[in-house]
Amino acid sequence: MEPTVIDAGSKILKCGYTAAEDGPTVIPTLMKPVPEDESSADASLFENVTVEPVVRGFVRDWEAMEDLLEHALYSGLGWEIGNEGNILFTEPLATPKAVREQLVQMMFENFNISGFYASEQAVLSLYAVGRISGCTVDIGHGKMDIASVIEGAVHHISSRRFEVGGLDLTNLFAKELGKSNPLVNISMSDVEKLKEQYACCAEDIGAYERVQQSCPEEQHTLPDGQVIKIGREKYTVGEALFQPSILGLEAHGIVEQLVGCISTVPTENHRQLLENTVLCGGTASMTGFEGRFQKEASLCSSAIRPSLVKPPEYMPDNLLNYSAWVGGAILAKVVFPQNQHVTKADYDETGPSIVHRKCF
Amino acid sequence: MYGGDEVSAIVVDLGSHTCKAGYAGEDAPKAVFPSVVGSIDQMEVDDPDNSDKNSVSADSKPKGKHKFYVGSQDLGFRRDHMEVLSPIKDGIVVDWDMVESIWDHALRKCLLIDPKEHPMLLAESCSNTQHHREKAAEIMFEKYQVPALFLAKNAVLTSFASGRATSLVVDSGGGSTTVAPVHDGYVIQKAVSTSPIGGELLTDCLLKSLEQKGIAIKPRYAFKRKEIRPGEFQTVDLDFPNTTESYKLYSQRVIASDIKECVCRAPDTPYDETSYSNIPMTPYELPDGQTIEIGADRFKIPDVLFNPSLVQTIPGMESSLETASTIRGLPQMVIDSINKCDVDIRRELYSSILLAGGTSSMQQLKERLEKDLLEESPQSARVKVLASGNATERRFSVWIGGSILASLGSFQQMWFSKSEYEEHGASYIQRKCP
Repeated sequence: MEPTVIDAGSKILKCGYTAAEDGPTVIPTLMKPVPEDESSADASLFENVTVEPVVRGFVRDWEAMEDLLEHALYSGLGWEIGNEGNILFTEPLATPKAVREQLVQMMFENFNISGFYASEQAVLSLYAVGRISGCTVDIGHGKMDIASVIEGAVHHISSRRFEVGGLDLTNLFAKELGKSNPLVNISMSDVEKLKEQYACCAEDIGAYERVQQSCPEEQHTLPDGQVIKIGREKYTVGEALFQPSILGLEAHGIVEQLVGCISTVPTENHRQLLENTVLCGGTASMTGFEGRFQKEASLCSSAIRPSLVKPPEYMPDNLLNYSAWVGGAILAKVVFPQNQHVTKADYDETGPSIVHRKCF
Repeated sequence: MYGGDEVSAIVVDLGSHTCKAGYAGEDAPKAVFPSVVGSIDQMEVDDPDNSDKNSVSADSKPKGKHKFYVGSQDLGFRRDHMEVLSPIKDGIVVDWDMVESIWDHALRKCLLIDPKEHPMLLAESCSNTQHHREKAAEIMFEKYQVPALFLAKNAVLTSFASGRATSLVVDSGGGSTTVAPVHDGYVIQKAVSTSPIGGELLTDCLLKSLEQKGIAIKPRYAFKRKEIRPGEFQTVDLDFPNTTESYKLYSQRVIASDIKECVCRAPDTPYDETSYSNIPMTPYELPDGQTIEIGADRFKIPDVLFNPSLVQTIPGMESSLETASTIRGLPQMVIDSINKCDVDIRRELYSSILLAGGTSSMQQLKERLEKDLLEESPQSARVKVLASGNATERRFSVWIGGSILASLGSFQQMWFSKSEYEEHGASYIQRKCP
């Protein structure tokens, strides 16, 4: 059986066999608790409660995670009990050791898999575009990671993690829409869809300021019939990544943060990192984001100017959304046949801490 | 007491320039950030702004009258009235609140761990006093509730990192340079000597020297580049009147230390004005696009380590070293230190001189030190200066030594545990951590 690759994000869980031609199976990681017994009193309590097993990139609710993985693996991918195979997990930057150990323990004890491997998302995203050294800017739903990878190893000292992501942009969009359409009542999931459809980045800061003055408004009809007007709000959402003060945060924009990270790496590696910069993650696929990023990057002094890398032609178009999963699929084809992973025997002998020794 | 495999200890090395923290057993610290804090005095800011700041940044704590910002991300962002302060003077902690906020940032924000579950190994300077050790133990056990603690001396950890139990450690860091002999894992206290010449002093020398030549280093926040026409850029100066002097100086120092690390080399012979006046200049591009040329300073600045009286010749720096005449250069410090030790171990110390610390990763420093020592040491001594080839290893050798020590199986019974603290009090640390 082919190895399985799982990339658990804060919003969607990507899973699939490594041989999957058309990318991973995508399952949202939003769950709803169902009451044990069917009494109506309990059901109404649970109406509006949602459970999110993955918060800001890290697994917080282990029981919910277990249920989600059961669904993904057994119903989604068609695993059979008793015939579980090898599995590769991706992890965000700065995952605490305890979280890793708990994951390994859950997989071997509750799922009875035969082999396990874990790798960092930054390294995998680079593998997906065919590089082993470079810089990744991974903007996800719950968090944003800027990581520098040298020869397949993340340089932790210069990598940064921000607790800003698509979720905060959605909240911002909802707030802005609320201001300009005070009579309309929109639910967060609708705002989420609107954001994915409309949000974009202005070409540069001058264009943004012009848009703030005057912007053509579009009308959009919501599923329940209400009509809302979307104008300059869609640019505000994109601008928030370059000017975090819009979100109320005291931090620099994305390009400055990237340059800051790279400056902490020893000088001889700068060239390698700057020429191989990858933008990945769901939020990075916003219209106009790449163009704006390159524009801002050209403003940096030439010694430290990042340039984006083009994905290879044989990769599907939406590679950058799922680059961590694709990279995982590539890595799984190498690691498992060469027996570099944690096997059931290893786990039984040493316990969960074996993961730190075998998986980098 | 604690199995080395299951429970991972945390190693924290709070230096005068950077704080290094990470898991024991790894080969490099995960969290490295400057050990200075940005502090905003609450009294100066209006109250409505206060609550805004409170909800915004998670790791700045209002401690009575100050709010601290820790870490290179927060420090890199310019804020009005933010002063940059250092909790460490002359290698010793003077402000414990700041140290607590630094530890908080390292443990909770960078490593994302709960201190209750990990034993803690702290590195301390050789001249740390009993009072400071007890205070550190108190904070660790009472506030962070660590299960076990150990305080180890920097020199001993460096010695372990290179696999030796006896050596002479030359630790040239940000704030100072310490020469300490280690014998069988214990520091010979009477022979330890420190000098205030460190990386930060060299950075200041470079800054003043450039200023004297008319080159003003603009901090990153003070300019912005605009594209007027495709391909043509213009730098626009930004003015922020409420920025404090200390923050401006901090930002300039960051740029100057990058220049120093790229360009400076230790000269092969002692520096003198005439022989280096015709040196070819090296270009360096500043963040605002300006290109500067550095010539003789490339060699003059590092030579301050060997000849401290050179500081007097740099205008603007005359007052920095009060007793400049009594401060000795590096080779002299090494020889004095070895001479204060017992005659029997002197030979062994001469043949294992270890270089550690950020400043020691300067190019050609090892060769120059070896050469100077060969000239001034006794004839019979075989002088050997050892330094790891990898610059990262030299910079973090104290942390790496701590990582090795805390993951040794035989070390696990030497921890100072919480129950021992509760039974005997903080002063017991003197007995447990010699």
